[in-house]
Amino acid sequence: MWAATRSELVRLARPRMLTAWFALTAVFAALINAVMFSMGGADAPAAGPGVTFPDMATLASSDGLVVGLSAASSMFGIVTLSFWALATATDYGSGLVRLLVAAQPQRWKLLVGKVTALTAVTAVATVVAVVVNVGVAPAAAESAGTDTSSWQTADLPAILVQAWGNAFFAALAWGVIGLVLAVVSRSSAVAIAVGAGWVLLVESIVAVAFDGTLTWLPGTVLTSLAEGGNGTLSHPSAIGLTAAYVVLGLGAATAVTIRRDVTD
Amino acid sequence: MSVVSTHGLTRKFGGLTAVDHLTLELPEGGVIGLLGPNGSGKSTLIRMLLGLVRPTSGEAEVLGSTIHAPGRYAARVGALVESPAFVPALSARANLLSLARLRGLPSSRVAEVLEIVGLSGREREPVKRFSLGMKQRLGIAAALLPDPALLILDEPTNGLDPAGIVEIRSLLRSLGRSGRTVIVSSHLMAEIEAACDWIVVVRFGELMFSGPIGDLMARTRAHIEIRAEDDEDHHRLVEALTAAGWAVTKEGDLLRVVAEPTRAGELNRAAGAAGVTLSRLLVVQDSLEEIFLEMTGQTDGELTVRRAEPRGRVA
Repeated sequence: MWAATRSELVRLARPRMLTAWFALTAVFAALINAVMFSMGGADAPAAGPGVTFPDMATLASSDGLVVGLSAASSMFGIVTLSFWALATATDYGSGLVRLLVAAQPQRWKLLVGKVTALTAVTAVATVVAVVVNVGVAPAAAESAGTDTSSWQTADLPAILVQAWGNAFFAALAWGVIGLVLAVVSRSSAVAIAVGAGWVLLVESIVAVAFDGTLTWLPGTVLTSLAEGGNGTLSHPSAIGLTAAYVVLGLGAATAVTIRRDVTD
Repeated sequence: MSVVSTHGLTRKFGGLTAVDHLTLELPEGGVIGLLGPNGSGKSTLIRMLLGLVRPTSGEAEVLGSTIHAPGRYAARVGALVESPAFVPALSARANLLSLARLRGLPSSRVAEVLEIVGLSGREREPVKRFSLGMKQRLGIAAALLPDPALLILDEPTNGLDPAGIVEIRSLLRSLGRSGRTVIVSSHLMAEIEAACDWIVVVRFGELMFSGPIGDLMARTRAHIEIRAEDDEDHHRLVEALTAAGWAVTKEGDLLRVVAEPTRAGELNRAAGAAGVTLSRLLVVQDSLEEIFLEMTGQTDGELTVRRAEPRGRVA
């Protein structure tokens, strides 16, 4: 299993791919802070699976420094989903899966290796998001005239760690969704289109149609997790549902990977 | 000991039968040629041996272990299945390193196999810049990584130039002589004839022949090609030879006479008796290609009508 992880890490060490992944994460972290503080909590659109905008009180609270991470969690999620899908579907599209399965017929080990390696990269990408967020937020707040006196607290390290944790676990769940879609479709384009389409469009429509009562939908759950719990779902409920999505997703991906003939 | 044995091995894809109750034993050591028209089931057979595709029915063993547990022999088998597959953006070295790590092999093995296939010095280049021939060499290098007891190569000379083909043929022979078993799938008869000790011919997923190449070549027949010095004599020559009991067919401006090589002189005298001077008399031995076509049919396996028959075999 460790061998499969090390093997996957070599394949993931593509400078262009990693640069794109981290750069997109950084851009979204910077953008959300710039927009969020400039809006100053005024006329914020309704919360949903897309970007959520916190109110002025939240921006000025002790969590204000890292609130951009939760606000843009769906964007980070789409980025993560896309790169997990790309890394997975490329194995099928290129035919590399033939070599991999011939070398390691215990296919679940290949899957575990891939998930472990992608999880490690996702953890680094989340660090990038936190660093950029912490770097941009004070400047954006100052420019918007937001009171940041509450940000200077002794709990800051704990707040940063918790923000990183929430963002990381939400991104991880998005990544698993990308992995499942890519394993099933064997196409990164299809996986990304379905994943992004769901987050940006379908889930919003479904949520409106059911008057916001479907609190277990993935976008809603993962947004709640990234925010450390919100009015829709408590933090423990969000963690529980996210864990359920991850377990179900990995179970489905494992079943398909093990059972399906390698004809690519 | 058989390096590969199959017993009634069958694989169906829906209504199509790609491999049909295949029973064969392949000896250990040497180079084994797997021949068959396009769509004859070669790749499906290879995929089943490697654990990529599960059989519908039947049994098979590779290096003494059942194909239902490919993990037992995967470390001793190297394979190139269809076209070589790599991450285009990664260098040749990184691609091989990834596979070496997966197999738990030391990094030094990468340099060794790159040297064997002649890619030393190009290992830092991204694979996307490689020609088809270089990718093919890299695919063979990947197959050689585990220093395999059994090497399975699907069309290993695809995309190689003549010099590359000679090199790979030489490599296959040396691998076969070193105690390994090399199974080479190909539709290039000359390639198989030059490199292999044992031949397997499949058609419609069925076994047509399995045995030493000498046994197959023993089935070859000779014919004698003749041409009249004067083209106007051709018709008269055909009539005279046919009347004398020779089996004559016209092939372009040549006449093909089915006869033992020892009867060449007799044929020459028969032509002379008919008043025809020959400008050409050549004894020709049938090639492996002709035997193959006789066994498998003259059409592309994928296009032949058997594909559409109710039995539903993949051609």
